[in-house]
Formats: sequence, structure tokens, C-alpha cells
Amino acid sequence: MKTRTVRAFALKEFVDLYRSRMIVMVYLLPVMILVLFGYGIRMEVTHARVMIIDNDHSKFSKELVAKFEHSKYYNPSVVQIPEKEALRSIKQAKTDALIIIPSSFEKRLLHGQKSEIGVFVDGSFPTRATTIEGYIQGTILDAASEVSARMGMKPKGMITLNQRTLFNQAMRDEDAVVPGLIGLILLVAPAILSALLIVKEKEKGTIFNFYASPLSKAEFLAAKLIPVFALHSLNIFLLFLLAVYLFDVPFRGSFMLYWLSSELYILISLSIGLLVSVITRRQVVAVVLTVIITVIPGFLYSGILMPISSMQGESYIEAHLFPVMYYNHILYDTFLIGQGLASEKIVLYLGILVVFFLFYFAAGTLWLKKEMR
Amino acid sequence: MPQLEVRDVTVRYKKRVGIQNASLQAERGEIIGFIGADGTGKSSLMHAIAGVIRFEGEIVYDGVAYHSPKEAERIKAEIGLMPQGIGLVLYDDLTVGEHLQFFADIRDVKQDEAFYAYRDKLLHMAGLSEFTDRLAGNLSGGMMQKLSLICTLLHRPKLLILDEPTTGVDPLSRLELWEILDNIRKEEGTIALVSTAYMQEAARMDKVLLFDDSKIIAKGKLEELVHEIEPYVYEKSPCEECLTIHGKSFSLKPLDAPHTTPSLEDIFFVNALKSQKLPPKIEIGARSDGTELPEIVMEAKGLTKRFGSFVADDHIDMQLRRGEILGLLGANGAGKTTFIKMLLGLYPIDEGELTLLGRPIRSGKDRQKLKAKIGYVSQHFALYKELTVRENLLYFANMHHIPPTEAIRRIGRYAEELGFAEYMDDFPSSLPLGVNQRFSVAAALLHEPVVLFLDEPTSGVDAIARAQFWEMLRLLKQKWGISILITTHYMSEAEYCDRVVLLKRGKKIADDTVENLYKSHPDAKSFEEIFLSYYRENA
Repeated sequence: MKTRTVRAFALKEFVDLYRSRMIVMVYLLPVMILVLFGYGIRMEVTHARVMIIDNDHSKFSKELVAKFEHSKYYNPSVVQIPEKEALRSIKQAKTDALIIIPSSFEKRLLHGQKSEIGVFVDGSFPTRATTIEGYIQGTILDAASEVSARMGMKPKGMITLNQRTLFNQAMRDEDAVVPGLIGLILLVAPAILSALLIVKEKEKGTIFNFYASPLSKAEFLAAKLIPVFALHSLNIFLLFLLAVYLFDVPFRGSFMLYWLSSELYILISLSIGLLVSVITRRQVVAVVLTVIITVIPGFLYSGILMPISSMQGESYIEAHLFPVMYYNHILYDTFLIGQGLASEKIVLYLGILVVFFLFYFAAGTLWLKKEMR
Repeated sequence: MPQLEVRDVTVRYKKRVGIQNASLQAERGEIIGFIGADGTGKSSLMHAIAGVIRFEGEIVYDGVAYHSPKEAERIKAEIGLMPQGIGLVLYDDLTVGEHLQFFADIRDVKQDEAFYAYRDKLLHMAGLSEFTDRLAGNLSGGMMQKLSLICTLLHRPKLLILDEPTTGVDPLSRLELWEILDNIRKEEGTIALVSTAYMQEAARMDKVLLFDDSKIIAKGKLEELVHEIEPYVYEKSPCEECLTIHGKSFSLKPLDAPHTTPSLEDIFFVNALKSQKLPPKIEIGARSDGTELPEIVMEAKGLTKRFGSFVADDHIDMQLRRGEILGLLGANGAGKTTFIKMLLGLYPIDEGELTLLGRPIRSGKDRQKLKAKIGYVSQHFALYKELTVRENLLYFANMHHIPPTEAIRRIGRYAEELGFAEYMDDFPSSLPLGVNQRFSVAAALLHEPVVLFLDEPTSGVDAIARAQFWEMLRLLKQKWGISILITTHYMSEAEYCDRVVLLKRGKKIADDTVENLYKSHPDAKSFEEIFLSYYRENA
């Protein structure tokens, strides 16, 4: 391999990327995905519009209402209207949930009798409904346990909840979504760029400069992939800064691990792009194909939408066939947990990523022929 | 032993054969011409020799034998390949100077003083010395081809393979390209394999190979080949089983007519006769409705177009009369295409007045009413690759609101008359350029226009298809009385025009009938010489 030749070719790629303004895309695309999705994906519910009908007007019922009023999760309104009318308000999507406190609520509780609170939740968005339902349950139980503790009584059927969320104590969506997005972005963007750089020459005809010259395959690949690798390496830092400073995601692990595993992951991505460029002839096709084969697994198996451990059957197997799951495990560890290389799983996953890279790169290199088809 | 020997080379593609059992030999310093229509195997053989495609057979260069692209790697340092297509190997975003640097670097050329002297010499020969800072994307077609050629020459290849380096290049640039080539082969002893669509260039070659039907059908010096066809060429006379083109008749059987001197292109016509591949006869039926036309169909007064500080067309006056074929000639970048695009409203007019069919054109609205009367065929034939010929034509008929039954009737008629009926269900990309060209014109004729604007419709089309194309234009003029404005790089075609306008750097430098031009240039043997004399004057 002649370094001068590779350097000259790679320099040409840089000049080309710069003059064709493609360089803007290299950095704009990742930032856009992170900002749009980072703010756009919301799992938690705040300010749910809750209508409360208090038929009791007792101390207990007022305490319960106060619990709702003091939470950022609800926008409660205490009303005195017939049940039917309140339900219509849900139907009209003006209210998310309706809570009905029965009359003699306090009296029954003091007598140790069972009391039922009516809760109606708008189920048109099932996940949202489940979330709100869970909140309300929690709030009521919380209030109940407080009251019972104060009164020094242990009513039957009253459960004390001791919920604690691990690693993401604040239950912030940003913490859960943003690291997963980095795994998506670094899979998609380098792949598109590397596919484009080779297919562009095929489409234009300049690929003849490679076919007809003594330039070796290794030199050509190095010249094509080094610029992509270098440019996207900068994205590792850019995305880190955005995650930590714009989205306030905590970073508890080793930066070295984050950095090196991300570089490895970029290598995997550009090898995928290389593979795509071997099979396609048109830039449009190359872009669409790359997007399809990277975005879908990158999103589904990123752990953003669903944890891999809760997947079953085919989806569980499929998740293991794409590199994104392994990388994201390391990502979440470095951001939220910080076990680092002390965890055997992370060492294993790093090894698996190396295998992914070697496999894709070997396939692309062997398949690329220095001749017309 | 010859320096280059090609033995029984065959190139196969998935569905067809590119070239079959081709053999040739070449000595140092020889220029060998590859001549033949589109798709007859010239490029396939060139790709095989350059080692960029798999082939059967054996090629020996300088004692090194190779049978595959992999084995050819050993001699790639000696080879220079310039594939077909204008500016194909150039990067739009790199400047002329950066290209030379890049090509030297990827070939690992030692950059010492001798290199820079050679580089400057090449730049000077190509007339690009002043343009080293210009982006390749902003060069004209001829400049792109000259740049491609000197990039190919930069590492001093000993085996130069040039696939139609002069197609789409104006006569002046073509002359310059050949001068570069001639110098190189004399100084370096380079073997040059050159394919061309211009028969005049064949005269500059040491040996020509004639290609037809994926085979080499004849080899030898050009004079010998022309001499061989003499017995089959007659003056124009009525005959059967023969071809009558451009005032000559070709027949294998003896005709009762005097013989005439054959020209180079006639080799193709005789060959078509021999291989019994008579081109379909072109006819044109009467148009559906007669239209009254003004005497002056198009009149431009002081038409000007600027791109930034660059003046593409500088105050051009032009008239197109009823039933006239007007040839618009000029070097690459002289402003021909820009002018046509202004006529069509594809570029806004910066200055000047335009009158079409008696109406002054001031806004898009004025044009809208005339759309139905104008037909246009662009340089690149604006056809849809994903639609078959039939579907393409139906689509264009729809665009012009032609009732379906009438559209189908007209499409069927054109397919018969213009000889592409057998290709109706094929995709354009699988057809020879000549067929694509005729059916592009059919698409432009569907709405029966009264004016036809044709932008280089014949570039890269083989001699027979071009002859048919001109026959079609002649008939259109005769039967329909329509006016045609056409641009071309084939100077021999200028002679079929009623009148020619010559553009040079955005200015009109001549506007006269072909006859008058010959009178004012008594020494000129061909129209090409007239063209060159205009271009050399006060250059």
C-alpha cells in the first residue's frame, strides 16, 4: 500500500465532500436526529387532565384531592357534576381521567370497611392510559398509606408500595432515549456516507479511474473509508456533548470505553455502507437501502422502545443479529450505570462487535471487484 | 513479435455477447481505429484490453500475457483508458489543476521538474493553461474531453485506449485532440486504440478495424477499405434491393448507372447491404390538419443570456422561415443550447425580443398558447427509462391532451413510418441510440407541431441511423412544411441544411445558405474547412 497515493485520494474525497456541501450533512443529520427525537419521544405523562368528583367532602377525601393537586403529573379540577356529564367530557377528549370519591368514604374507612373509588381512564392511547392508571393508583395508595400510618391502624387490603426505579431514578425520558439515539445515529450516518462515496463514482463513471489504474483494492478502500471514519469520529464527541449538556443525561462510566467502542461501532457502520455500495449502482438506491437496513433495526432493537430482555421468540433472536443491541448495552452502561469493563457482559459484547466488524468488512472487501459487471 | 497482440477475445454479458472472437495486432507508435455503429462491440473489446472486464481469450502486451482483469493488473501502469462519455472520468467539484494532481498521485507519478514540464506542455497543447483554477463541472464539453485526455496521458502510458474521445466535441477541439495524440505517439512510441464516430478521423489512423454485429468484419488501411467498395457505389438511380442515401445508390447487383467516388461513410452503407441489414424505409404521411403559418416562424432580435459575468449569448439576431431547415453550428460552449433553451422558455431571456409564430413573447402566458405548436428534442432525449417505448409515447400523447384513439392511431403510424415498430415494447435503455433518437422525435411530433427544435439529436448515432434521420427531416419539411432548427457537430450534416448560423463565444459570426458559404470560400473542400476558417479568423 502506497501511503502517498492513499493520502492523495483521501484528500480528493475531503475536497469533494467540502465543495459538494455534503460535509454539512455529515454533522447536521446526527444533530437533527438527536434533537428531534430527543425532544420528540415522550413516554412519561405530565399534567394529565383529571376530573375529580368528591361526593364525600370529608377530611380524608380533601386530603386525597390535595395529593392530586400537589403533583406535577396532574392538572386536576374538582367539580360537582353528574357522573354522566363527566364521562361525556372524557368522550370529547377534554379530560384524561375521572375519579369519583363515594359519599361516606371517610366513615367507611374509619370503620375499617372496604371503600371503592371509581377511576375512569381514556383508553384511546393504551400506553398513555396505562401510565395514567398507574399514576392514579400510586397516588391513591400513597395517600392511603400516609393516612393509615398517621392513624396508627392497618386496614385490611391496604398495600404499602415500596417502588424504586433503578439507574434512572429521576425517571427522565432523556436519560432513557438519548443514549439509545446515539446508537441509532452512529449506525445510520457513517453507513450512508460510505455507501455514497463509492456508488457516486460508479454512477458518474469515475470508477474507471480505479478500474484502469494500478491502484489496489486496499488502497481504494482506505482512501474511501478513512475520510468517513475521520469525519464521523468527530460526531462521537459532538453527540456526547449534546447528550450531557443539552439533554442533561448523566455520564457515570468511562469516557475511554465510550469513545473506543463508538469508534469500533463506526467501523461496523461504514462496513455496512461498503457492502451496500458493492450491490448497488445508483446513489438513490444506495441511500434508501442503507436507511432501510440500518434505521429499522437501529430503532427497534436499540432498547429505546422496548428492552431487549423483555422481547420474546423471533424478535429476541433478531435483536441479537444486529450490532445495535450490543453497542447500546455499552452505551447505557457508560451513561447511566458505569460498570465498565468490570462487567463480563460488556467485555463479551465488545468482542462480538469486533466480530461484526471483521465479518462485514471481509464480506464487502471480498465482494468488491476491480472490474465492470 | 508485435507489441500488442489480441487473440480470439470474447466478452459476454448476462444476456448478450459484447464482442466475439476478436483478434488484432499493433506495433509501437501505431494508431488503430475502431469503427462501427453503436453496440457493435468496440467498447467491449477496449474494456477487455484495458483489463476492466472479464473476457475469454488471450491478450499479450509487451510479452506479458493476461486472461482476466486480475492478471492484467501487472500491466495497468502502462495503460491509459479513457472510457466513452463526455467528462466521464472527471470530478465536477475538482479544478483542472487538482485533476492533474490527482491523476498523477493515484498513478504514483514521480513529481520532479521533468514531470512539471510535461504537465505544462500537456496543458498548453490542450489549451487549458489559463483554466487551471476552473472547476471541471464548469468546463464545456470539448474542454472536458481534452482534460480527460491529458489526465489519461499524464503517466505516459505506452498503451492508450480511447473510447470515442471526440464524440460531442466541436471540429476545432477535435483537431486539437488529434494533434495531441499525434505528438504523443511520435514522441513516446505509444500504441493508441481509438474509436470514433467521425469518419474523417479514420483518415488519420494507421489501420482501421470495422465492427459489426459484435465482430470485426474488416481490417486494413482506410484507402484499401474505401477502394474495396468502389464497385457497389453508383450515382443516384431507382433500384430494388439497394440503398439510396444522400444522392448515391448502393447495390451489390450491377446497376445501370455510372459509378461515383465512394466516401468513407459509404463503407457502412455497403456493409449494411452485405450483411442484409437494410435499414427500415422512412416515410411520412400527411398531417391530420393543415395549419396556416406566417412567413417568419421565429424571429429573435438581440437575444442575450448572461450567467453572472459570463455572456452565453450576446445580442443574437436570427430568423427561421416557413419550411426551412436551419442549422445552428458552433464549438462546445458557443451558446447553441442556451439559445434553444431561451427560445423554449427554459431560460429566461435577459435582453432582446423574441417573436414566435407572429406573436411577441413577453411572458410565460404568451408561450402557453404556443406549446401545442412547438416540438423539442433535447440533447439527452428526455425519455422515461422505466417506461417502454409505447408507454413513453402514450404518456407524451396524454401530456398534449390528444384523444386516446387518435393517439394510438398516430403512435402506430409513426412506429411504422419511422421504423421502430418492432421495438415498441422494449425499454429505451436497451435500444440502439439511433432508435431512441427516432422515437424521441416521434414523441415530439405526436401533437403535430409546426416548428421543431432539435438539440444535437445525432451525437453518437451511427452513420446509417444518421442518414435515416436526415431523410426523415427532409420528408417532414416536404410533406408537412414545418420549420426545423437543429444543432449538430457533424459538419457534413450542415450541408443538408437550407441555411446555417455559426456561433462563436456567444456571438453570431455567419448566417448564410450553404451554397453562398461555399462561394465565399472557394478553396474549401468540405464544410468542415469553412467552419474552421471562421473559427481561426481573429481567434
